[in-house]
Amino acid sequence: MSTVSAPPPADRKATAAPLSVEALLRQQQTLTPVMPATDEETVNDIPAASEAASETAVETFSRHHESSGTERPLQERWYRSLLPAEPPGPGEQYAFEVDLDACSGCKACVVACHSLNGLADDEAWRDVGLLQTPPAHTPATSIDSLIELPVIQHVTTACHHCIDPGCLRGCPVDAYEKDPATGIVRHLDDQCFGCQYCTLMCPYEVPKYHAGHGIVRKCDMCSGRLAAGEAPACVQACPHEAIRIRTVSQAGVKAAAARAAVCGTSDTFALPDTPPVDQTVPTTIYRTERLDLSKLEPADLRTPRPSHAHGPLTIMLALTQIGVGGLVAAAAMWLLGTPATALPIRIAALVGFAILNAGLAAATLHLGRPHLAFRAVIGWRHSWLSREAIAFGLFMPVAAAAVAVAFSDAIAEFVGDWFLGIQSLAGPIFLSAAVAGLAAVFTSVMIYVAARKPLWTLPTTTLRFLLTTLLGAGALASVSRIAADDNAWLAVAATLLAVAAKLALDFRATVLRSAEAIAIDDHSARLLRGPLRRVVTARLALSAAGAVLLPIAAITGSVGLAAVAATLLVAGELVERWLFFTAVAGPKMPGGLPS
Amino acid sequence: MSGSSRSTLSPADRVQVALRDFRDIAADPKRALKNESGPITAELLREPGRFGLGQRVGDQQPAATAASVCGFCSTGCGLTVSLDASGEAIGLSPRTQYPVNLGMACPKGWEALEVLAADDRATRPLLREGDALRPVDWDTALDAFCDGFQRVQNRHGLDSVAFLSTGQIATEEMALLGTVAKFGMGLVHGDGNTRQCMATAVTAYKQSFGFDAPPYTYADFERSDALIFWGANPCLAHPIMWERVMRNPRRGRGLEIACLDPRRTETAMQATQHLPLRPKSDLVLAYGLAKLLIDRGAIDHDFVAAHTSGFERYAEHVAAFGLDLVARETELPAAMIERLADTLAQAVESGRAVSHWWTMGVNQSHEGTRLAQAIIALALMTGQIGKPGTGANSITGQCNAMGSRLFSNTTSLLGGRSFESADDRREVAGILGIDEARIPREPSLAYDQIIDGIEDGRIRGLWVIATNPAHSWIHRGRLERLRERLEFLVVQDMYDSTETARIADLVLPAAGWGEKDGTFINSERRIGRHRKVSRAPGEALADFAIFRLIADRWGCGEVAGRWTDPEAAFGLLRELSAGQPCDITGIDGYAALDSAGGIQWPFSKELAGTSASDDEITERRLFADGHFFHADGRARFICDAPTELPEPTDAAYPLTLLTGRGSASQWHTQTRTAKSAVLRKLYPSQPYVELDPRDADALGDDDGPVATGDRVAVESRRGRVEVIAHVTPTVGRGRVFLPMHDVGTNRLTHGSFDPHSRQPSYKASAVRVELVSRR
Repeated sequence: MSTVSAPPPADRKATAAPLSVEALLRQQQTLTPVMPATDEETVNDIPAASEAASETAVETFSRHHESSGTERPLQERWYRSLLPAEPPGPGEQYAFEVDLDACSGCKACVVACHSLNGLADDEAWRDVGLLQTPPAHTPATSIDSLIELPVIQHVTTACHHCIDPGCLRGCPVDAYEKDPATGIVRHLDDQCFGCQYCTLMCPYEVPKYHAGHGIVRKCDMCSGRLAAGEAPACVQACPHEAIRIRTVSQAGVKAAAARAAVCGTSDTFALPDTPPVDQTVPTTIYRTERLDLSKLEPADLRTPRPSHAHGPLTIMLALTQIGVGGLVAAAAMWLLGTPATALPIRIAALVGFAILNAGLAAATLHLGRPHLAFRAVIGWRHSWLSREAIAFGLFMPVAAAAVAVAFSDAIAEFVGDWFLGIQSLAGPIFLSAAVAGLAAVFTSVMIYVAARKPLWTLPTTTLRFLLTTLLGAGALASVSRIAADDNAWLAVAATLLAVAAKLALDFRATVLRSAEAIAIDDHSARLLRGPLRRVVTARLALSAAGAVLLPIAAITGSVGLAAVAATLLVAGELVERWLFFTAVAGPKMPGGLPS
Repeated sequence: MSGSSRSTLSPADRVQVALRDFRDIAADPKRALKNESGPITAELLREPGRFGLGQRVGDQQPAATAASVCGFCSTGCGLTVSLDASGEAIGLSPRTQYPVNLGMACPKGWEALEVLAADDRATRPLLREGDALRPVDWDTALDAFCDGFQRVQNRHGLDSVAFLSTGQIATEEMALLGTVAKFGMGLVHGDGNTRQCMATAVTAYKQSFGFDAPPYTYADFERSDALIFWGANPCLAHPIMWERVMRNPRRGRGLEIACLDPRRTETAMQATQHLPLRPKSDLVLAYGLAKLLIDRGAIDHDFVAAHTSGFERYAEHVAAFGLDLVARETELPAAMIERLADTLAQAVESGRAVSHWWTMGVNQSHEGTRLAQAIIALALMTGQIGKPGTGANSITGQCNAMGSRLFSNTTSLLGGRSFESADDRREVAGILGIDEARIPREPSLAYDQIIDGIEDGRIRGLWVIATNPAHSWIHRGRLERLRERLEFLVVQDMYDSTETARIADLVLPAAGWGEKDGTFINSERRIGRHRKVSRAPGEALADFAIFRLIADRWGCGEVAGRWTDPEAAFGLLRELSAGQPCDITGIDGYAALDSAGGIQWPFSKELAGTSASDDEITERRLFADGHFFHADGRARFICDAPTELPEPTDAAYPLTLLTGRGSASQWHTQTRTAKSAVLRKLYPSQPYVELDPRDADALGDDDGPVATGDRVAVESRRGRVEVIAHVTPTVGRGRVFLPMHDVGTNRLTHGSFDPHSRQPSYKASAVRVELVSRR
């Protein structure tokens, strides 16, 4: 078939002076020296065609250029009109304004944020989610009628620089500050010790954890750029001028949020399935003239993803509550007539104290920078996390004193009989340990209630944590009384009551709620019945097994079996607490397609 | 280009960090309680930037900058690369004054440097030994290359070795490849992945205008009163062209944007008219619109008479496409079609500027050439060509598809010439100083014909450069089976992990964009320069250097003799363009490209000499004088009867599979874009299929309809892939959509082709879907 007339290849060895691979490799590694001057300067004329299209930006630029005379960023000609003319006055602050009608979904804002701010790996302080017409929508397809077309709308989002920032309220080390002049919510990276509580307190998922540094980082609206009259990275990189900076009246934003709380929709933040605006009073303005946003739903609405499990916190919460339970058990047994130094009290107090310590040790493991744990108390005025640190800090010596009472006989052998005098304070010490322990548990409750997640309401979280404490008390009392051949039935009954009540709570969170409503926004129920269903089963199996074995242990008097039962119950609580974190889901900024 | 890694620190590092913090606190005890300015804060501290760049983080402060153009898509954005003192790139940002992108870039452009640093870069030549590819030195690799292909040629003839090239390398490189392969090694057949994206536009333009000549300039986006997008989603595929649309001063004040696309896309959302037509009913629609225009007399008769031929026959042809028929075939409301006809008619009736734009929805079709020509016909009959804001405009895909169209030496001889023409061969031989007899007298087989050639034994050796057919070729399962029939397969690529590189006999490690010099030609015919600003890893070499080495080792070094470096090659390209419609003899080397902000072809010596104003140098469109490139100066009206879909849906495979771009952050088979962590997070990590709610109902089981998040299988006669369902009303009943970036997609597509352009029809295959498992 060939019509080729090229001569056959010559013998390649015959080539006179072959090219040198080495020379080419060297050349490949040589970079052309570039004179230290910008090539931008060589192209000073904006093409005529675009000049017509962007007169405003160009005019603004030249005006500014004349007035300043210093070297300004070249890009300024495009973004000058996207910044407010004046910095915020008293009672005002900067805010992002997003023109949804101009956003095409290219996501250059995300990458520019990452790139111009020197962020790590996939770190970016802007995200883009997707709103769409719900799949239930069935457009008319008759060719005689105009089709009502479905909608897809990308939504770019960064920090909303809230009037009442949840991150700032929750931070135990005061690593957040709201700039009085600009309203920008800044994060002090070196002040942060990496507790990540702000990631729970911010309903918009803004602060992001940076494992390498062990801290969170977040958007500061490129405050340094704004101070110099430059646009934030996202503003200067949006090809469609869909993001701009505005100054807003803080009182106005607050009043609008209050109105929205009453009437249910916000004029400036009408994105569906987002947190109620009165929670933190976000300042970002989302504008659209073409869409009824209330008819849309986030693309990830029906496929919520399990949240972060926070392993150390899971352990910390379950173990501190069970540990407190040990001291509650000691106090209860003493009240019911067991001598202060009897074996059941000794076991309950000591094991409880040990578990408590293990729980608190786990808590420090949660910190990205545990060596700065001492800062935890700084935010006590506003942060329940600081208060928890203080509460457990105060509780620990009392708990230690309770253990000392229980073991006063043994301790006296070493330090002298004077120590036995502590037994006269047994009542006050046991009772204050129980009260202080419960108070500390309550601060734990409030940490999560303050985050305002649907799964973490005050009644259910209180019940959940107290029942874990009761379970711990009952289980430790059961084991210790069986070990001492004492009557353990009251303790067993308390344990079973706690297990039954907790399983009922879980049942309500999963089966009942989904069955009664199948509300589309009941994300937690969807998670528990969907991706987390195997974990739910594991939790049920562990707790049920413990609940069955414990009475058998009481009947047979087997300490070993009692210990196994108690371990199963504790394991069940650990799994429950894992679900407490992973199943938490609530209104948030729209996410993307399922993956 | 980015800050420190987010992976967790080792315990030892943690201790170091703690000691550092305690030292800081000891130095200033106040820091124990409040530390506002430590080392972590300093890491992100922004300082005033030099070179007009604005504030930059400390380690991104450049010592110098260099201008380059982007190497992903055909938009051809200008980028300013920040360099450190050694001249190495440390970051980039879009170039403020470049007349293409005006200071903006899409996510891919922003991350263009990041993807160079991937772990799977090819750093040494690899030679197959049994099942494994083993590193060898360049000498061994070059010998293996020559031995391998020469053995095939000795056994099966010179034309039994073919090459598959790319729209992703510099014009200088693809021209050298075409020269070495065809004039030196004696290859006859070579084609590019450009066959997959714009062959249809090439053929349509050649037949209609007499030369492959997209007539527009990007300013036309801003100058139009109505923009008609045919099978295009520029919001995702060409975000920076969409920037130019958004800068149209009439936007929101009467600017009409029509989008013809079966799916509700981002572009459809931005349009004032979205026509969600039945897939591949577009040709009928175009003929129907022509008939509506003719019926109402909205024809620019003066223009048609003076500058075109074939209109009468065309009018007769479209007379059969009445509104009822068109509405039925397209499944569109008649009123919707009439409204679009109104918009087109205003060009004639009220002098509004109407421009047509098309991309892959048109090009990747079984009758794409005729469809492109039907679009061209709408522009011609309304006189919408050669004036600001008008045109029948093909938007190209790859960064240098346009370079390949003129200089790849595959279908056409260098410079848009013909292999069949003795005059053309003589001219080229004279310019290059080679024996005219070395030039083949026939054009290459097209891509699909080369694949057929592998099947029937005509092609036994294949050289693949910077493309990934084992992922991207339509009905790729067949290609996999054909691997065994190839006696020698060479892959030349930046990455040795591509689906194609993994099955090669020899892998040649190539430097990527940013690691070498050359020029690209963008969609609006603008020649832009890209620069070496980064060192290639290991022993990777610029494709230009590899082609020279191969020529030398093959024994045909003399054909590459004048191709000493990219700029010298550019000089040859200028010579080759002399007198052609794409004449660039007026471009005085690379420096001229830098200072002008890229230059559109044609730019002849005469034009350069005649005091063209700066604006004329910056923005030019073709056919302002109504003179087309056919010998008679007239554009042609060309039409054919619409044909049946190659694979219509039926009872067994009832759904139409549409494919296309998934997001602005993904590029083709993702050998590059998947290497950027920040790009990866901008699209779903799992492949997904868009499914209409009514189809999801029908595909459900006892537990209800298929829901978003469920796992489903998409199956065609050729293959099956499992993906996640995304139930959405945007795709339309009876249709499903798979992004082209997933490696599974082309297991399903039906290998059918436009008969004129040989471009694959990726956009309509018959499939079925079934539920695999619930979320």
